[in-house]
Amino acid sequence: MSTPAPLEVEEPVADELTATDRPWQTVVWNDPVNLMSYVTFVFRQYFGFTEKKAEKLMLQVHHDGRCTVSSGSREEMERDVQAMHEYGLWATLERAEG
Amino acid sequence: MTEGFHPRRGGGVVATFSGFEADLLRSLASQLIELLRNEAAVPHAEADPLEALLDFTGPTTAPEDPVLARLFPTAYPQDEEAAGEFRRFTETELRGGKAGNAAAVIDVLEEAGLPGDLEGEALVIDVELDHGGAMQWMKSMTDMRLALASRLDITEGDEDYWDSLPDDDARVHVHDIYDWLGFLQESLVRAVAP
Repeated sequence: MSTPAPLEVEEPVADELTATDRPWQTVVWNDPVNLMSYVTFVFRQYFGFTEKKAEKLMLQVHHDGRCTVSSGSREEMERDVQAMHEYGLWATLERAEG
Repeated sequence: MTEGFHPRRGGGVVATFSGFEADLLRSLASQLIELLRNEAAVPHAEADPLEALLDFTGPTTAPEDPVLARLFPTAYPQDEEAAGEFRRFTETELRGGKAGNAAAVIDVLEEAGLPGDLEGEALVIDVELDHGGAMQWMKSMTDMRLALASRLDITEGDEDYWDSLPDDDARVHVHDIYDWLGFLQESLVRAVAP
């Protein structure tokens, strides 16, 4: 059947609160097309980051090839990834490490 | 030649285009709409034909066209099933949004005075955008640049290659348009960014 896969809900564990609270992350990848100014603008506009933080993340994308821009529940991260695709940024979802 | 977008007194942004430039933007926007509609956003036939017929929420596999594949990237590169589900629930809406933005670009240009059939070059058009309009233009120019870059096979740091091509190479002309859109995009981001 083509029903949506059920969301995996992890039981919170006291000493791993961070990982279980924010188990998924949105990753933005470098591409040769999008302007640095535009990527910074999108981070400010959509995530409400300060100019300094948005620029830092943009530079990380540019230099490292990728950067985690948000983390949270799978549902929240799917929203963020969809929004990035709306802006034309190359974004993917992955499970947070640790 | 347009000087790009500038902030407007009282809010919003403004740019002045020649008829040729406005016509070029309209042509790119309509090609984008054509492309978004061309490869239908329908699910591929699955094992059960009835199930495939009843499943009209969206496609589950990546588009074959490289431009569309870049406009709608795979959200879960390591998990085909999750990627398919994500696509099913987002791609139709994303396609609609991108086509809507391109249509908004065309509407604005025509409302600003671009005739259906452009003749003569003396025409000058002032385009004024409020914040919402600027966002639509920004997103649509991004889509146009992504589309041209996919067709041209643009890679990081390939400027020397493009400079080395002879002027009569058809790709040079397309690359000039790509560069021009980049200039316009940059001016719009700067005009809008607080």
